[in-house]
Amino acid sequence: MAPKPGNYAVLEAIQHEMRRDPHLTMLYEYQRPTAVSPTGTVIDLHAEFGEPRIPDWGPIDEEWFVGGGAGIAMTGVRTIARVPSMCTLRCFELVFNQVGKLRHMTGGQVNMPLVIWQDASGRRPGSAGQHADAGQEALYAAIPGIKVVVPANPHDAKGLMIAALRDPDPVIFFHYSGINSVSVDVPDEGYVIPIGEAAIRQEGTDITLVGYGPAAIEINKSLPDLAAAGISAEVIDPRSIKPLPIEAINASVRKTGKLLVVDHGHETLGTASEIIARVAMAVPGAKLARSTFPDAPPPGAAEMITWMTPDAPKIVDAVRKMVA
Amino acid sequence: MPRDEIDGGRTEHLPGGAEAKGGLSRRSFLQIAAGATGAAMATKATVARAGNGWSMGLEGVPREKLLWMYETMLKSRWWEEEMKEAFLAGKDGLYGAFHISIGEEASAVGVMAALREDDYIASNHRGHAHLVAKGGDIDKMSGELFFRSNGYNLGFGGSMHITDVSKGILGMNGIIGPQYLFAAGAGYSAKVRGTDQVAVAFGGDGSVNNGWYYSGLRNAALYKLPMIAVIENNGYQISMPQARTNNLVNLSQLGAGMDIPHETVNGMDVLAVYAVTQRAVARARRGDGPTLIEAKNYRYYDHSGLAGAKPGVFGAFGLPYRSDSENRAWMAEDPIPKLRRQLVANAILTDEEATQIEDAVRARVLQSLDTARNAARVAHDAALSHVFADTKVPASQFAV
Repeated sequence: MAPKPGNYAVLEAIQHEMRRDPHLTMLYEYQRPTAVSPTGTVIDLHAEFGEPRIPDWGPIDEEWFVGGGAGIAMTGVRTIARVPSMCTLRCFELVFNQVGKLRHMTGGQVNMPLVIWQDASGRRPGSAGQHADAGQEALYAAIPGIKVVVPANPHDAKGLMIAALRDPDPVIFFHYSGINSVSVDVPDEGYVIPIGEAAIRQEGTDITLVGYGPAAIEINKSLPDLAAAGISAEVIDPRSIKPLPIEAINASVRKTGKLLVVDHGHETLGTASEIIARVAMAVPGAKLARSTFPDAPPPGAAEMITWMTPDAPKIVDAVRKMVA
Repeated sequence: MPRDEIDGGRTEHLPGGAEAKGGLSRRSFLQIAAGATGAAMATKATVARAGNGWSMGLEGVPREKLLWMYETMLKSRWWEEEMKEAFLAGKDGLYGAFHISIGEEASAVGVMAALREDDYIASNHRGHAHLVAKGGDIDKMSGELFFRSNGYNLGFGGSMHITDVSKGILGMNGIIGPQYLFAAGAGYSAKVRGTDQVAVAFGGDGSVNNGWYYSGLRNAALYKLPMIAVIENNGYQISMPQARTNNLVNLSQLGAGMDIPHETVNGMDVLAVYAVTQRAVARARRGDGPTLIEAKNYRYYDHSGLAGAKPGVFGAFGLPYRSDSENRAWMAEDPIPKLRRQLVANAILTDEEATQIEDAVRARVLQSLDTARNAARVAHDAALSHVFADTKVPASQFAV
């Protein structure tokens, strides 16, 4: 057990499952699925499993990964569709009208063991507009029949990927690039983090902080300052947003009476909106607030995008005001 | 609106510019046909050359297969005809989408005649004939159109979404184009599992007007997948004639840019479609990748529903986007009486036996409608199941 980068942890999960399931197949575009651990262990899925389970080439064609992957999955072969970079929505129609609906539309006949491993760039200076996005997981979570997970560190990434690869339903695995460098121990063996189970990162009594993926990273960065200010924060990472582990959040807010949801998605109809609405109905009288990326595209200049992104200093400031 | 002439694609186009036959003129083809009579016609040369826009003889096709073609085209024809009558009569309170494929039975049956039971098809909104030909159970089909508990999809889908995974029917589908991706994916799956199964996508002439046919076929060619794309070109994208939706006359030409074997076939001739599909299936099973087949045919009814249709009248007339005489011209080419005449003329069946088969099919169809009429209605709260494999979703419509 040692810290491993996020990409390595996910490939370790896929390698583990490919060894268990002789048909598990992955379609991808580039970035041949290889990674090296800090101790020098190499994972090379193509070298180990070969054609056609890990093709050595692929087109820039998200609709093929997802639509072709759905065709593979429908015929009983579990499939990973690796959709690269920038939180693309090109395959959204196929997820909305096919992947999410076919089981229900056919009266339960169609199984769809498809995992969409969606790279997500996250808010970052320099990329601008199309390559600095976040929050698309909320769009997918709005689709019936789809499960959505968003790990915040390599450990959760491995456990959630294995859970996704054993799930009978389609799962979208949002892999924000920012989680790759989070230093956390990752066991060598396979393990499952159940989909729909939140992680309580820290117990506290003054306020509940909720965030996943890149927002969870910023919440974690804010904790030393909050502790120094004498604030006891309870920190919850839902890890899955569909199904959303809302009971864990409700229970915490019943205790603290205050909730701040941090979300790198946009303000309107984002995951934060859903969490706030559910808690408002379940815990009357709680003090509720959210910090989200504004309803504007992400600009390239560091001054602008940094100012817009809900980061640790803004979290500390908001919490101070809420508990004052 | 006159429809584009069936005039081209008489040559099977193979990758690299090779062609299966050397541009035979109509006259030379007819000379070959006239010069060879009886069973001697069933030579490789005729199988290779017929099909492409021409009618085929029945030599070399086993009697059982010929009878199956005849009976299966009739089953699809009468199932849709009787369902149409039930819709029009109104007594059963039928509702929902209903895309009639009457007129297009030869392409469905001709393709399926070349497939095995364990092969896959991905069908479209006009897929009743595909289902019947792939072995679909007409009792369950009728049940689904009545939205009853005995329906294929338990009342969740209706006409446009009937699916039978156990028979390799990956479903009819209400969206244009994903069939090409699904069939390519099913072909990929066969490769992963090491089987020699083949997967066929069905789409109309409108289905090549967005990008998914390209993605499915392009990747099937890239990975040499056992996939066949069948474009059933009935000349109209809903009500828009092909000439106004596509610069091409023969949609099979779309295969040229991808270096995919492609050919146009007379979609009103079940034996021609069968011959062409056999070639494609052989190519797919030996690992040589996809084939694009364009079957030119016609639908005698409207795109969806029953505009222009009347009880007891065969075909829809008075539609604003096409002429009645055009419809009648295609009806004169109807594949079912054509096959019947061939079967009788070639002493496969007597005229009396042909009638008996049709009567039996019709009685069986009517029985399936009765079964549906008498089947239990669905429970309203079943709607919350089958979203996920093992959990129901909450009934959020009740606020408090």
